[in-house]
Amino acid sequence: MTEKTWQKGLKWLLGVWLTGVTAAALLWAPPAAGFQGDSFRIVFFHVPQAWVAVLAFCVNLVASLRYLRGRRPLDDARATAAARLGLLFAILATITGSIFAKIEWGMFWNWDPRETSIVILLLIYAAYFALRQAVADEERRGALAAAYAIFAFVTMPFLIFVVPRVYASLHPNLVEAARGTVRFKMDPHMRMVLLAALVGFSGLFTWLYTLEVRVARLVAARRAQEEA
Amino acid sequence: MQRSSLLAESLAILGKEVASELRRRVALNAIGLFAVTTLVAVAYQIGPYGLAEQDRPFLLSALLWIILFFAATAGLARVFVKEEDAHTAKALRLAARPLAVLYGKLLFNLVLLLALEVIIVPLYCALMGFAVRSVAGLILVMAAGGAAFAVTSTFVAAIIARASGSNALFAILALPLLLPLLVAVIAGTRAAAGSMELAAVLPALRAIVSLGGVTMVTAVFLFPVVWRD
Repeated sequence: MTEKTWQKGLKWLLGVWLTGVTAAALLWAPPAAGFQGDSFRIVFFHVPQAWVAVLAFCVNLVASLRYLRGRRPLDDARATAAARLGLLFAILATITGSIFAKIEWGMFWNWDPRETSIVILLLIYAAYFALRQAVADEERRGALAAAYAIFAFVTMPFLIFVVPRVYASLHPNLVEAARGTVRFKMDPHMRMVLLAALVGFSGLFTWLYTLEVRVARLVAARRAQEEA
Repeated sequence: MQRSSLLAESLAILGKEVASELRRRVALNAIGLFAVTTLVAVAYQIGPYGLAEQDRPFLLSALLWIILFFAATAGLARVFVKEEDAHTAKALRLAARPLAVLYGKLLFNLVLLLALEVIIVPLYCALMGFAVRSVAGLILVMAAGGAAFAVTSTFVAAIIARASGSNALFAILALPLLLPLLVAVIAGTRAAAGSMELAAVLPALRAIVSLGGVTMVTAVFLFPVVWRD
């Protein structure tokens, strides 16, 4: 399980990319109108974190479906790794969102529909791990957790996309979709940094995820060795 | 042939559930007493005059669903947990195909929920002075909401019965899944209370029906996995 040269290269590229994104977010992006001071700069970290939390949920879905089809323990480990990272990034998105809310609206929390939906995503992740802990048998644990994750996934679109758009929200909307066209309501420079941050955070997620999966592989190999 | 026998099997399981429930009345007692106790506490503390006029439709709809929701979580999990407790799950697995088990148990939970609504909602309206302008709208929201509620809670009950079987785990797993539904049914109930027009409840009703439909299809696909393992 040694690291290949191209993997090392990618890791370095990720480091340089994220450093560049951070510098650009703090120094290069022009101030946005309608926000207090530099508070808007949190968008370059907050939005990618929320994005990764949802991306992890999708990775978890794919791994869960694969587990139910093939019953390979590695797919269960993949689903768990994705859920663990999703939980972490959902917590980070909640914290950065609260900081922004405090500066902009004067309160850390005000039950905005978007805030509610991230709390429910957190609750789903927490429930997923509570379920895993309640089952001793490995195969049954994998199957039940996968079934729960898939079931939760189908209710998520209602939470993330329907509820926040049906009910009035203070939350700034980055994308305006009207009459079949979708456009970004953002300065082009800001948009560039935000897109770069999204790519960087997705890369960060991929790196952390592969690390977790490699650890799971090693644990499985070690256990097989001990049993042999 | 195939279809009618699935229906017959499902109805046979529903019959078995009703018969065993009438014998022991565990779920009925848990749900009924829980609902009546919370209703009495709410009515005693707030009553028909405790709220400002403009807040009434909103707060009274939310309170009604909180009572129904917590009463339901007290008893709906039993439908699968009791099979594991009594070690009858294996026999049931041999006797009926998985989908018949799902449909039968789902129908039983639906009957339980609708019975709860039929008793609690009129009582609540009377005790709290909750004036509903569109009774037909309220009935639609209650029926659709009850059905969608039954789907998710039956599926989660099947999962927790195979895990630890605890009611606490049921609440932990079901709450985040039922929250979007609760938001929609509260909005629908408020719309029925505030307007004579049946059209007022339609936006909420659309959300409830689509959520219920999506969860039902998913439950049908996933249930054999949960049940067979």
